[in-house]
Formats: sequence, C-alpha cells, structure tokens
Amino acid sequence: MSLNPKWVPMRWPCGPIEAARIAKSPHPDSGIAQPADPWANPAALQLLKGTPINCLVVDWAAGTTDDQAQQRALAPLIAAGRELGLSFVGKLRSGEGLAANVAAAATAGLEAVMLDAPASPNGSATGSASATHSLALPVILGFPRDTIDWARTTQIFSTTANVWPGVVLPTMTGDTGIGGPTGDPWVDSNGWFVLLARRMAPHRSLWLEIDLPPSSAPLTAQSYCRAIADSRAYGAHWVLALDDATRAGILRAHPQALATWQSIAQTLAFFGDHPEWPAFEPMGVLAVVSDFSGKNLFLSGEALNLLSRRHVQFEILNRRQAFAAPVTGLKAILWADDDQPGSVQLNHLLAFIQAGGLLIAPAYWGPAAIEPRQESWLPGYSIYNLGKGRIAVASGGFSDPYQLARDTHLLVGRQNDLARLFNPGTTGCFTGIGPGRRKQIVHVVNYAERASRFLAVWVNGNPHQASLWSPASQVPRPLDHHPESSGTSFELPEFSVNCVLEIERIA
Amino acid sequence: MTTINPSRRQFLSTMAAAAAASLAPPSLLAATRAPAGRVAVGLCSQYNRHVVDVLSTMFDQLGGLDTLVRGKTVAIKLNLGGTPTLRLGYLQPGMTTWVHPQVVGALVHLLGRAGAQRIRLLESAWLTTEPLQQFMVGAGWTPGDFTSAATRVEFENTNYLGSGKTYARFMVPNGGLLFPGFDLNQSYRDCDVFISMAKLKEHTVAGVTLSMKNLIGITPCTIYGQNVPEDEPALIPTGGRYLLHSGAHAPPKSAPQPIDLNAPRDDGYRIPRATADLAAARPIHLAIVDGIYTMVGGETPNRHSAPIHPGLLVAGTNAVSTDAACMALMGFDPMADRGAPPFERADNTLRLAEQLGVGTRDLTRVEVAGTPIAKARFDFRKAWNTAV
Repeated sequence: MSLNPKWVPMRWPCGPIEAARIAKSPHPDSGIAQPADPWANPAALQLLKGTPINCLVVDWAAGTTDDQAQQRALAPLIAAGRELGLSFVGKLRSGEGLAANVAAAATAGLEAVMLDAPASPNGSATGSASATHSLALPVILGFPRDTIDWARTTQIFSTTANVWPGVVLPTMTGDTGIGGPTGDPWVDSNGWFVLLARRMAPHRSLWLEIDLPPSSAPLTAQSYCRAIADSRAYGAHWVLALDDATRAGILRAHPQALATWQSIAQTLAFFGDHPEWPAFEPMGVLAVVSDFSGKNLFLSGEALNLLSRRHVQFEILNRRQAFAAPVTGLKAILWADDDQPGSVQLNHLLAFIQAGGLLIAPAYWGPAAIEPRQESWLPGYSIYNLGKGRIAVASGGFSDPYQLARDTHLLVGRQNDLARLFNPGTTGCFTGIGPGRRKQIVHVVNYAERASRFLAVWVNGNPHQASLWSPASQVPRPLDHHPESSGTSFELPEFSVNCVLEIERIA
Repeated sequence: MTTINPSRRQFLSTMAAAAAASLAPPSLLAATRAPAGRVAVGLCSQYNRHVVDVLSTMFDQLGGLDTLVRGKTVAIKLNLGGTPTLRLGYLQPGMTTWVHPQVVGALVHLLGRAGAQRIRLLESAWLTTEPLQQFMVGAGWTPGDFTSAATRVEFENTNYLGSGKTYARFMVPNGGLLFPGFDLNQSYRDCDVFISMAKLKEHTVAGVTLSMKNLIGITPCTIYGQNVPEDEPALIPTGGRYLLHSGAHAPPKSAPQPIDLNAPRDDGYRIPRATADLAAARPIHLAIVDGIYTMVGGETPNRHSAPIHPGLLVAGTNAVSTDAACMALMGFDPMADRGAPPFERADNTLRLAEQLGVGTRDLTRVEVAGTPIAKARFDFRKAWNTAV
C-alpha cells in the first residue's frame, strides 16, 4: 500500500472526537453534534457523488478515551466509502499506542495515516523515518511550515500554520482595500510556500491544512474556491474543510450551503480536468537562493511572498544544491542567506556575473581589486561591476524582506518582467511553462470577495494564440490579444475567483 | 505676434513686479497686472504622426520653439500620476490619466529639431526611487522611443534627491500662500526652460488638473510625503503627499516650513494654494495640455470616471492663461469661484495663481490662436452625465 498522489483530500469530521470538539466550540449550536451523527452515516457520502474528492481524512486517534468509540463509529462509513472507491486517511496523535492504532487503521481499511512530525531537539519538526517505516500503513507527516525539515518530508506531506487566502481584513474598509506596506491591499496567500515546497521537496505532494477563519457565519463560496485555487494553481492540495455553519446548512439542504458546495465541487473539477497543469514549471529569469531552513526561512520565505505580491516570477534554488554546474537560463540571482557560497558555487557564480548576470547578495565575494559605486536610486547598496555583469551588495546585509523584494525587482528591472497585471488590485498570478516550452499558463487568483474587473494580463513575447479557462465553463474561451511594448496584453473578462490563461507560444 | 518668453530673468522680473503689486493687498490689483500669455488650441483626433504636425503648428502660433529652446537644457515635467499598473477599464494610461507617449515623443522630436541641447523628462514616480525609464516600462511604455526622437534625452525620477547632491530651494516671490518655498529635486533648477506637460482632466479635489496642478508632482515625497523624518528628508519616498493635502504634519525642518501651521486642514483650501505657490516658485515657460483622449470624473480611474475623446491639444506661454483656456474648452468658467463647477470642493487655483502674479485667467486678456475655443469646446460635465 502506498500514498496516492492523485488523492483529492477532504477533512470529514465525525464521530465522538468531533462531537467533543463541537461541545467545546464557541458556536455549539451548529447542528453537527446530533445523536445520530449524520456525518458518520454512510448516507452522507452521497454528497461526494460527482465530485473529484476521492480521499477522506478522518480523526482516528486523538489520544483520548474516545479513540476506541471513534474507530467503531467510523467502521460503517469506511466500509461504505471503500465500496464507492473512496480512500480514507486517519489522523492520529503520535505517542503511546501509535503502532496499535495504525494497525487498527489498516485493519479497518484506512490506506494511510497522518501524523504530526515529532519535534527535533533543535526545535525543528522532524519525522523519524525509522519510526514511521515500521508502521502498518504509509504515513503523511505534518509539519508546522515555519520549522519544516525538508529532508524528512514524506511522499505526501502536510503543513500547518498556513494562511487563509484572502485580503487581510484590517486593510479593508467596507469593500475598499486600503494600503498595506506594499501600497496595495495586503493579501494572504500560500502560493509562494507551495512553490518553495515544489523545489525543496521535488516529486512529493503537499497538502495544506488551513485553519478556517473564526466565524459563526458560513464562509462564502468564493472564500472556499479561493482556498482551492490558491493551492491548486501553485501545485498543492488544500485539505478541504467545511466550516460548521456550512456543514449544518448542507445537512438541512439549505440552498445557500448547497450552492456553496456546488461551487466547491466545480472548482475542484476545474483543476481535476487539467491534470497537465501541475507539471508546468515556474518561469523566471530571477532565481532566489537559500536553504529555506531554520533562521534563513523567515527572510527568504518572506522575500518569495513579497516578490509574488509584486507579480515577479522567479525560480527557487536550494542553496545546498545549487550551482554545482554553470548557471544557465538566468539573468539574476538573489542570494538571500548570509552563508557564503562554497568554492565551486562561487566559481560558477562569478562566471555567471562575468557573462552579464546580476548577483544580489548580502556581502561581497568577488575579486578584491574592484571598487564599488553607488546608485542614487538604490540607497544602501554598493554595485561592483565585474566583466559584463554586476554584484549588488546590501550594506549591512539583508534585514527587511519588503525592502529586499522591492530592491530585487528594481535591480532585475521591469524590462525583464515575464508577466504584469494591470488593475491588479487584489489579484495574484503564477506563470508556468509546459514541457517543450511551447505552452505557457498564467493562473490568476482574485483574493477579494468582489469580482475582478478590467484585469489585463501582460506577458513578454508574442504568442501564437491564447485561450481562457474558468471554472464556470467547460470549454476555453478564445482571448483577443494585442501587442504592448515588448510583449502582449490580454484583457480578461470579469471573473469571480480564478481563471487560467493558456498561451501557445511561437516556437 | 507674441513670442515665447525664453528668459528666466525676464520671467523673474515679472514675478518681482507681481510681488510688488502684492504689497497692495486687493487681489484685484494683482489680477489686473498679472501677465497674459498667448494660447494655441489645436484639433487632433488621434495619437499618431499627426500629433507632430499639430504641435508644430501650435508652437509656430506661439512664436516658435527655436527662440525658446535652441542651445538650452529643457526640462519637461510629465503627468504620470499614480501607479503604472492602474488603468481605467482596459485603456492604457495615456488614453485617460497620463499624457500620451505619442505626445511626449512628438514634443521631444520638435525640441530636438528646434535645437534643444539637452532634453530631460521628469516625473516623481509614485512611491519609488526607481529610474523613470523603469517606471515607464511598468506602464507598458517604451522609453527608447523618446531617446531616439532627439539627441541627449535624459530621464529623472524627481521623487527624491536623485542624481543631485542637495535639494534645490525655490522660494515663492511674494512669500506664498501656504508655503514660502519648496525644496525640490535639482532637475527643476538645472534647466533653462521648464515645460509642464499635463493631461486635460478634472480633479476630485482641485476641480481641474492642468499645467499648474501638474506641479504638485514636482514635490519629492521624501520631503512632502507621509512619515517623513522630523529633521532631514527621507532617503526614499515613504508615502503619498498627505502633507500637502491635510497639513497633518510639517515637512522636515531642513525644508521651508508652512507659513501658518494652523492653516485649514481642508484639502480644498490647501491643494489650490500649494499649487499656486509652486507655479510662482518654479515658473513654467511652456504649458502643454494633452486632451486628445482623456477621462471625466476625476484624475485617476474610479467607479465614477469614464473615457472621453475631446480631440484637443493646448499650449501656451503662461500657465494660468493656458489653464484658463483649457477650463473654457472643458466647458467651465475660469473666473468661477468656490462652489461653482468645477470648484465644488475647492478654491480656484487659477485665481490664487493670478493673485500671486503668475498670470491672468481673464480670457478677455488672452489671445487664443488656432481653433477658437467656441469651436473646440468639449463639455466635460455633459460628457460625464452621458458616460457615467
């Protein structure tokens, strides 16, 4: 038995463990904790009919006295689900009785278990391979994302402490966004972290566990669809979880709750219908280099986040593995860590600069004889000309990720933008290139509740043709485009949450 | 035929006369003595090669460009307000909020042809120190079009100290209405001829934004922006020009301080006065206003604005007279005062500039060449009522 990367997961809370949670919640009158526990009833699985959801994440053992009752309560559900082709993953708490609980899960028909990675002595979350290999089922290890140990990730791994995607409420006045530090409304997105995970844990699948925003009111359909789009566009799965009010509404066949569910299913199907998209590789003439671990993760991770907010497209390189060979395909490199490159890395970096590349670094590692110059528009940097290229060194190193992202974008230059959004407001984008580099996609996600209007997407170069995919339509819509400066602009029609621009490149 | 006044010395002497006149308090006195300048109005339906011909004819009607710019360093304050990615609908900014690159390129070409030694394109790029060319690229412009239109074309982002070592101080000849003077990027001093190239637009606060209001953008946000330090300018812009709008705080002590720290906080009081002060402190030798395509309902895209097509270009040797002609072309009365359109929320900037002796807004004193105003008028409010 192995972990299936094609699983589309959903949290399916039910049974005594869920009842105990409901009893402690600030809004116990949700209709969930009824004696019959309708979510444990196999009939509830009918909800999934026609949706791509094929994997249910259930509470299996919380380390309480409810565990055995929980497992008994789940038995009919699991049996019925397996008949419908569903897979079940059990959430367990690590600790005493783990092996027995996993064995019981295997016996009950579960296909995997989710465990929190135990903390290592230095505080980072680690998963012990030897401890999990001996278990009766494959393990999906879960990590708090700010202390993740990339080397320990499992074939499917999950992270917690993710953000609920959307416009951060303190930066909203009514329906109007007010400026955050970027001058634009502040947007929370997990996109940058998913891109990071793709690089740091290649060929593995990331499941995002996201705490729902606290509210007694049901979340909007847009809100759910945004959380799906924000993860799938970048290449991860959100472990879909419904808020209590929506769950209650679905049970009562409330029209709004059912409409929300339909929208969720539609957005999941939209991505499910395009299994080729996750294979599209991030595009970028800029590489951000770090080990993205420990003390380095905050600055380098936040730089990725803020570069994304500027719609800068980038590649991510693991500092510990990068530049073992000559640098190709890049125009600029941001070396985010204070740690210096090794001698082989340095040789390749210097060759890259000599050939015309730009290195942005927290310290100078070049030849000693070169005198730096200052650029008035870039206070705090010394520029060293080396061959045809430059090294831009931040005086005193990097400290402010916002400033770092801004300076990096300006140093690389807008003329090297791969994509721009006009009237971006609260939208974000991710640009990927397909195998053979003939097809490019631009995922666009709107993080506001209000629909995005008059958004134009500019990409560099001249496409052959372009079409627009949206969850609301099963067929792509041809999209007019017109040349603008060194690229091409596409005028997107109004859309609610997300759409995807598919561009055929001229070979 | 009136010739374009090329001499800063002559202009400053005019300013001095205006300052003397201001010793006699009634603004009417200053108004009657404020200089008038010829204004040329040209019809131009599209942004194409025709723009060069229309502008060339207009400059001839003003007395010719050669005498103004030959052998001189010419600085052009462009009107590129706001972020480069903000658009009205899908329209590129040159069609609504910014001056159009075709007009900029045509002017650069004509300046080069007239013998300008050095042409400097200036703007205080929104909240950034990035080179102006980069800012333009972000909006979809191609700065190379300008550098190839004439020799020695330069760019400078004036929203901070820039390439200078110190800020240049400009004092308002008669002491000013809100500020006695301003500290600006040195580019506004190190030029022989100063051109303000604006868009023909309304403004939600000031009523209209034309060649004079364009000068609000010459103030660096390192001094006149939000969150500036108390003593010295910031190194980089830290926020918008709330200081000018609200007076909530003073500029750093290194810069000229407000005349009255208790002056009204109403931006309808402050922005017209700051504009008039700037127009007096940094004289405009040539005002050019792009109204081929523009917008109604404000100065930046919002849900109440709409694109329009007046098909107009306006130029003049006196900023107040030029703006007065523009207002008349927009269907407004340049003699209107606060309360009357378009000054529902603000004092009339033109009146205040006239009071400072910058120029007259009295169109009976202004010679208009080219297409008569009555034939070229495009009523903005009527268009707004139709479009929005």
